[in-house]
Amino acid sequence: MPGKQSAIQNSLNVRGEKNSNRNTKERESFFRDFLKQADLQVLVIPAIFLIVIFSYIPMYGVLMGFQDFQLGDFPGLSPWVGFRHFKTLLQDPNIPIVMRNTLVISLLKTVINFPAPILFAVLLNELMGKHFKKAVQTISYLPHFISWVVAAALMFDFFSVDNGAVNSALVGMGIIQKPIHFFGKAEYFWGMSVLTDLWKGLGWNSIIYFAAISSVDAQLYEAAEIDGAGRFTKMWHITIATILPTIVLLFVFNIGGLLNANFDQIMMLTNQMTNPLLRSHADVLDTYVYRVGLRESRYSFGAAAGLFKSAVNILLLLAANKIAGKISGTSVL
Amino acid sequence: MIKKANIWYTLFDILVVILMTLVLLITLYPFVNSLAISLNDADDTVRGGITFFPRVPTTRNYELVFTNEKIYTAYLVTIGRTVIGTLGGLLLTSLFAFGMAHRHLKGRKLYTILCIIPMYFGGGLVPFYFLLRSLGLMNSFWVYIIPNLVNIWNMILMRTYFQGIPPDLEESARIDGANYITVFFKIILPISTPIVATIALFVGVFQWNSWYDAAMYVTKQELKPMQSVLMNIINEAKFAEQLAQAANQGGGVDLSNVAKGKKVNVRSITMATMIVTVVPIILVYPFLQRYFIKGIMVGSLKG
Repeated sequence: MPGKQSAIQNSLNVRGEKNSNRNTKERESFFRDFLKQADLQVLVIPAIFLIVIFSYIPMYGVLMGFQDFQLGDFPGLSPWVGFRHFKTLLQDPNIPIVMRNTLVISLLKTVINFPAPILFAVLLNELMGKHFKKAVQTISYLPHFISWVVAAALMFDFFSVDNGAVNSALVGMGIIQKPIHFFGKAEYFWGMSVLTDLWKGLGWNSIIYFAAISSVDAQLYEAAEIDGAGRFTKMWHITIATILPTIVLLFVFNIGGLLNANFDQIMMLTNQMTNPLLRSHADVLDTYVYRVGLRESRYSFGAAAGLFKSAVNILLLLAANKIAGKISGTSVL
Repeated sequence: MIKKANIWYTLFDILVVILMTLVLLITLYPFVNSLAISLNDADDTVRGGITFFPRVPTTRNYELVFTNEKIYTAYLVTIGRTVIGTLGGLLLTSLFAFGMAHRHLKGRKLYTILCIIPMYFGGGLVPFYFLLRSLGLMNSFWVYIIPNLVNIWNMILMRTYFQGIPPDLEESARIDGANYITVFFKIILPISTPIVATIALFVGVFQWNSWYDAAMYVTKQELKPMQSVLMNIINEAKFAEQLAQAANQGGGVDLSNVAKGKKVNVRSITMATMIVTVVPIILVYPFLQRYFIKGIMVGSLKG
C-alpha cells in the first residue's frame, strides 16, 4: 500500500515537476530572448515607462470620479460615493446648455469645415499653373503653424469694430450700415468659432487629401480620357473615388471627437472664458470640466465630468466605425 | 460640342483661380495687416485705415516691446522648451519607433496594446493635474518637457517609415556585430531625414505654441513662455476696450481718454509682440515643407 501511494505521489510529483519545468523553461527562454535583445528592448522601455506614467496613471485617477476626493488624500483611497457625481452632473442646469453648445459647434464644424479641405484639394488639383498651385499650398499651411493665442489676436483685429477688415468691407459694400460686434455677442459665437477654425485649418487639413490625390496613377486619367470622360466625370470618378477611403477614415475619427469642441480655440476667443457676454454660447464640455474641476476645485466632480466625456466619445467612435463598416464594407479601426 | 465644353472648362478654371486667390488673400491679410500696424506710429494707427502698409513708419512699438524685461525671460523659456523638448522628443520617439519596427521584438504585442488604448481613452484633466502635482512638476520647467517626450501618433508615423527601409541594410551591419543602438545612429538615422524633419517640425511647433501647460501648471512669472506674455497683453487690450466702452456709455470724458490712450498703445504693442512670437516659425516651415508632405504621405498611405 505505501508503495502504491508513493508511486502515485511520485507520478504526481513527476508530472508536477515536469509542468513547472516546462513553465520555467518557457519563462526562462522568454527572459533569455529578452536579455539577448537587450539592446533592442532598451530603445523601447523608456518610452513605454513614460506612457504608463502619463497615460495610464491618470486612467487610474478616474476613480476620483466615484469618490469624495479631498486635497491631501492619496488618489483612489478616498471614501466611495458611487455614481453621486454623475447624478449631480446630469442634474446640473448648466449641462443642457453646455451639451448644446458643444454639439452645435462640433456639428457645424463637421458639416462645413470637414468637407471644405476636400473641396480645396480637389479644386486646387484641377489647376495647371504649377507655381501658383505651390504658392497657394504653402501659404494655406501658414495659419496651422501659429498658436490659437496668436490666431485669436489676428482674428480680433480682422473682425474688429473699429476699422477691422471685415467690417470695413461690409460697410463699404453697403451690406451693413454699422460695424458688427462679431466677438461681442453670444449669438455670433458659433459662427465665429466655425469661421476662425476654417481659416486656421483649411490648408493643413487638405495635405492628407493632396497626398492621396498625388498617388493616383496618371494613366487612369489618360484611359478615362480615351473613353471620352469629361473633366468633371474624371474629377468625380477618379479623384474623389481615390480619396474616398481617406475621407471615411477621417470622418470616423471626426465623429469620435464630437465632444471635443476645440478647447484651445474657445479659451482664446473668449479670453479664457472671462468674457461673461459669451458664456451662454461658448461654454462647452471641456471648458466646463476645466472650470468646475480646477477653477472651482470640485476635483471629484471634474474627474467625473471628464470621464463622462471620454466615455461618450468612445461610444460615438465605435458607433461611427460600425456604420462606416456597414456602408463601405470594411471597418477602419 | 467640344467647343462648348471648352468654354465651360475655361469658365471653371477662372472661377477656381478667383476662389484660390480669395483664399490666399483671406489667409494672408491678417498677417500683413498686423505687420503694418506693428510698424506704424501708435497715435496714427488710431485714426484707422491701416491696411497693407504702415502710414507713419516707426520701429517704436518694437523698441517698447523690448524694453519689457519679461519678454527676454519669456523668449528664453520658449527657446529652451522648444530646443530641449524637440531634441528629447525626437530621441525618445525615434528610438521607440525603431524598436517597434522590429517584428521579433519580445513583448511587441503588449507594447502595441499599451500604445493603442491611450489614443482613444484618457483619464482627463483633473487626474492628470494631480499626477503632475505628485510628481513635483508644478511650477517646474520640466512640466513643459517630460510629459511631452513621447507622442504615440508621431511614433506610428516614424515606425511606418522605418518599416519601409530595406532590412538588408540593417542585417549586414548586425552580422558585423553592431548592436541596435549603433545600427540606428550609424545607418538608419542618416537615411531618415524626411521623417525626422517632419517630426521635429511637429514637436517644435507644438512646443513653441504651447500656452496651455504654462497656464495650468505654472504660476512663476520667470517660467512663463512667450505665448503667456502675449495672452496677457491681449487680455489687457480687451480689458482696455471694455473700459473704453463703459466710459463712453457713462459719458466720463477723462476716463474715456485715459482708456483710449491705453488701448492705442496696447493694440500696437500686441501686434509687435505677436510678430516677434510668430516670425521664427514662419521663417522655418516653408523650408521643411517638402519633408513634411513626404512624411505625412508615407504615414497616411500605409497607416
